[in-house]
Amino acid sequence: MGRDDRVLDGMNGTDRMGVPYSDQSDTSGRTSLLRARKPIVLTAQRSYLYLHLRPSAFIRGCLLPFVYALVMLLAAVAAPSTAAAAADDLETLEQQAFQAAADRVAPSVVRIETVGGLEQVDGVLFGSGPTTGLVVEPDGYIVSSVFNFLRRPDSILVQLPDGTRKPARLVATDHSRMLVLLKIETDKPLGTPEIATRDQMRVGQWTLAMGRTFEGNRPNLAVGILSALGRIWGKAIQTDAAASPANYGGPLVDLHGRVLGVLTPLSPKPGETVGGLEWYDSGIAFAVPAEDIVRVLPRLKKGEDLHAGLLGIGLPPGDSSTAEPTIVACRPNSPAAKAGVKAGDRIAEIDGRSVTRAAQVKEALGPRYAGETIALAVLREEKRLEFKATLAADLPPYERPMLGLLPMRSISERPAPGVIVRYVYPESGAAKAGLQPGDLVESLDGKPLDDADALRGRITEHEPGDTVALAVRRGQETLKLDVQLGRLPDDIPGEELPAAHAVAESGAEKPAGVGKIEIKIPDVQNDAWAYVPQGYNPAVPHGLVVWLHAPGRVDDEQVLGRWKALCDRGDLILLVPKASDPAKWLPSEESVVARLVENVLGRYHIDRGRVVVHGHEGGAGLAFLVALRHPDAIRAVAAVEPPMVPRPPDADPVHPLSVYLATAEKSPQAAVVRRGVKLLRDMKYPVTLVSLGQEPRYLSAEDLEQLVRWIDTLDRI
Amino acid sequence: MHDRTARTRLSVLTMAAIAALMATLAAAPSIARAAPSTSPLGETLDRVQPRIVKIHGAGGFRGMEAYQSGFLISAQGHILTVFSYVLDTDYVTVTLDDGRKFDARLVGAHPRLEMAVLKIDAENLPYFDLDQAVEAQPGTRVLALSNLFGVATGNEPASVQHGIVSVVAPLEARLGVFETPYRGPVYVLDAMTNNPGAAGGALVTRQGQLAGMLGKELRNTLNNTWLNYAIPVGELRQPVKEILAGRFVAEPESQRPTPTRAITLADLGISLVPDVLERTPPYVDAVRPDSPAARAGVKPDDLVILVGDRLIQSSKALREELQHTAPEDPVRLSVLRGQDVREFALKKE
Repeated sequence: MGRDDRVLDGMNGTDRMGVPYSDQSDTSGRTSLLRARKPIVLTAQRSYLYLHLRPSAFIRGCLLPFVYALVMLLAAVAAPSTAAAAADDLETLEQQAFQAAADRVAPSVVRIETVGGLEQVDGVLFGSGPTTGLVVEPDGYIVSSVFNFLRRPDSILVQLPDGTRKPARLVATDHSRMLVLLKIETDKPLGTPEIATRDQMRVGQWTLAMGRTFEGNRPNLAVGILSALGRIWGKAIQTDAAASPANYGGPLVDLHGRVLGVLTPLSPKPGETVGGLEWYDSGIAFAVPAEDIVRVLPRLKKGEDLHAGLLGIGLPPGDSSTAEPTIVACRPNSPAAKAGVKAGDRIAEIDGRSVTRAAQVKEALGPRYAGETIALAVLREEKRLEFKATLAADLPPYERPMLGLLPMRSISERPAPGVIVRYVYPESGAAKAGLQPGDLVESLDGKPLDDADALRGRITEHEPGDTVALAVRRGQETLKLDVQLGRLPDDIPGEELPAAHAVAESGAEKPAGVGKIEIKIPDVQNDAWAYVPQGYNPAVPHGLVVWLHAPGRVDDEQVLGRWKALCDRGDLILLVPKASDPAKWLPSEESVVARLVENVLGRYHIDRGRVVVHGHEGGAGLAFLVALRHPDAIRAVAAVEPPMVPRPPDADPVHPLSVYLATAEKSPQAAVVRRGVKLLRDMKYPVTLVSLGQEPRYLSAEDLEQLVRWIDTLDRI
Repeated sequence: MHDRTARTRLSVLTMAAIAALMATLAAAPSIARAAPSTSPLGETLDRVQPRIVKIHGAGGFRGMEAYQSGFLISAQGHILTVFSYVLDTDYVTVTLDDGRKFDARLVGAHPRLEMAVLKIDAENLPYFDLDQAVEAQPGTRVLALSNLFGVATGNEPASVQHGIVSVVAPLEARLGVFETPYRGPVYVLDAMTNNPGAAGGALVTRQGQLAGMLGKELRNTLNNTWLNYAIPVGELRQPVKEILAGRFVAEPESQRPTPTRAITLADLGISLVPDVLERTPPYVDAVRPDSPAARAGVKPDDLVILVGDRLIQSSKALREELQHTAPEDPVRLSVLRGQDVREFALKKE
């Protein structure tokens, strides 16, 4: 981007002359203005400014900043007057500064129009109206927001401030920062803005968000302050100026008319194409720093698409601000694995910066692009090891491997170490190696195992096809078994499964509520109830089934009739939220369901590996939404005739998700389900497909028995 | 997206922000010298608030609030507000800033501007003189005063929000983009001003000069966002005078003329690719030999992007645009061929 240093020098000149106005801090600039000023001088300044507001763009561009600087200077040296008049003039001065800054950048703010394209993207209705771009190089390079091109238009036109329209080519996309680079052919050089560097930014300074989307081809402005630096894992700065499709792709500007960044909707949650749009005009808006854009411009100009750099590690689930930076999983064939990093390693440093929490790992990796190399220092059994890893744009789909067993569930507070085998899947690696129910698995590859979770975690480091060595105690014997890992089964075991835990002693502690109980949480209008088995024992880990009804009235008695015996026998708690409008679920009710789940998780002893959202028709659609938005809490979806099967994020070892899909051959949803099964299996998610025969219907008693057995197998290893 | 609750939250935030701002302005100078009695912004609002009124009338069921805002424009109790269903009753109540309540009478209304003048029986009221109203520029700092969401009851003053004029632009008239008959210029604002109940409120400068009247809630279908705007007083002044003089005659709707017969693509010798998508790009499929298009040099695979100066975004839009051109008039067509824009003037023979 071009710099007009003459103007900048003018600003710095006032600085050097001892006026307490700093080029780098608008806050101090404002303070100095407050201190002293003479109204009569300012009136003169206003008219001076006004006289020069009208002439050509050249004069506006070059002279105004001088005038502005002069206003500052005179204002600062003038004698004090009454406070009321002073603040009144501060108002006017600030307003003039907004206009002057906007005028400086306006020649670089262009309008973008598109021809053709989609009407909806990810269920969000898009207008076909103009959007905004920012000229970054005089020979026709323009940066804009990915948001403006999500509709995939057939043709792009750029309208310059003088009204001429030029066809534009999309050169490259920065998928990490949600920006695009466009190119137009131009004979005369385009105006480029001056950019602000990071050290010139101060939280609290004035900012202007600019677009060019309204009728008349004039720039639109919004004023706010700089709210924060280093947002969205270090990729963006934040402002409270109104940002929306009316200015996405446009610049965020400081009072000197320097570009701080380019406005684009961003979401701290990855993977949502239109993420961040829900915050439009909310006082929370993001811009990618101009400096960072300049740095990658040469790569974008070559037509290179940029992607966020992935390392391929899993961090502990839950709040990353409190979690330790310990690697809980390391994807096979990922950059981390290739570098030599292993699960269990604790990250100590990234690129020389020390790390003590999981969030710091995300902050360090967030701004990095695929293809960049990072230096990593980890602690492995007290030893410090150093690695270099080259980040990747995508990771090969993760496929969870399986030994082929179900573990016994521990009901004692201090269980003996090791994993007791409850059931061995026929034909599995475990079966072939000779593992039997009742065996106690004591160690894996020579390392002792505390419990089933430890075994499961250790297995995730492998790929299907790998062989692991188990030490197994059977009676008085200790056996060494080599087990080749297989894939998760799609079938549900046809036979009755053995008991999952020893007989629990009852009555020690009386639980809070059993039977059918109403669940009420603050601010949530939806009715909800749960069924907790009469013989609920807090020592026994229970599964949780969330039932999301199909559109229409819910017959509580019928639901309870279906599930009561299944819950009593299968250590399950049933949670039944109801749509606020019985005729349909709203996508936003996803958060209501999640809060209800959280409530039940906090009150009862729930096995986190067996939290299932089960829905029918519209409820099944919502079930997927709940699971995808809350990967920390939800381990499985059981969907009967879902209206859609959304694309989940790439499978990862830390948030396993199992899917049960049921449809009838003549169901209108059959094709949706078929496509969903293919999509999920291609992404290596375990999918169990159940046919409901010819005519669409809900699950029969027999189907439900089978579903409960499927839920019972979700803690498989 | 934006539901009501979100907008409520926002407006509350903005109000909190302005309270904080006022506090800052009041406090900041006191650091440097003796503390002033009130802040200038506070003084402005002291002057402006008594001129704002709350209007209650018809409505009250789902999504139709039974209230809106207005402001006094004469000492004898004339009130300017928006013309809406709220006024569609014999029992319109106006509540003044001091809590006094009056029955209001509809003096007259202007359907295209969606503006109405009410009258209450009172004397010596503070008011905005429309002749003293100012014109705001993009970047002008403004205050919006209204009873948004009906937060203010009785003698509570109206809610104040601050922001700037984002741009002065006409409401896009094409393809029914805005569901309002008003097509003139508006002040687009960068604050969340146009919420339920805000319509009819006053837009003033930071010095308290009247600049506009807040409009109704409107969705900008061009980009599917809520629009916050005010109608400039300059647009309202004359019609208000006409109404007050009792001379007012509703003017005919001004719309783009549509000729009884219009030119067609076939007249020009152009056929487009089949229109199968929601927004099929208007690519030329074939050009009839010896037609006006063929002689001018239009070729298959050209993409039509402009008719005159109007952007054409789909085949449907192209056909609609041509309906405004009479068969005997020339059509100025810009097409995209590869990365080149070419312009043709076509005339039916």
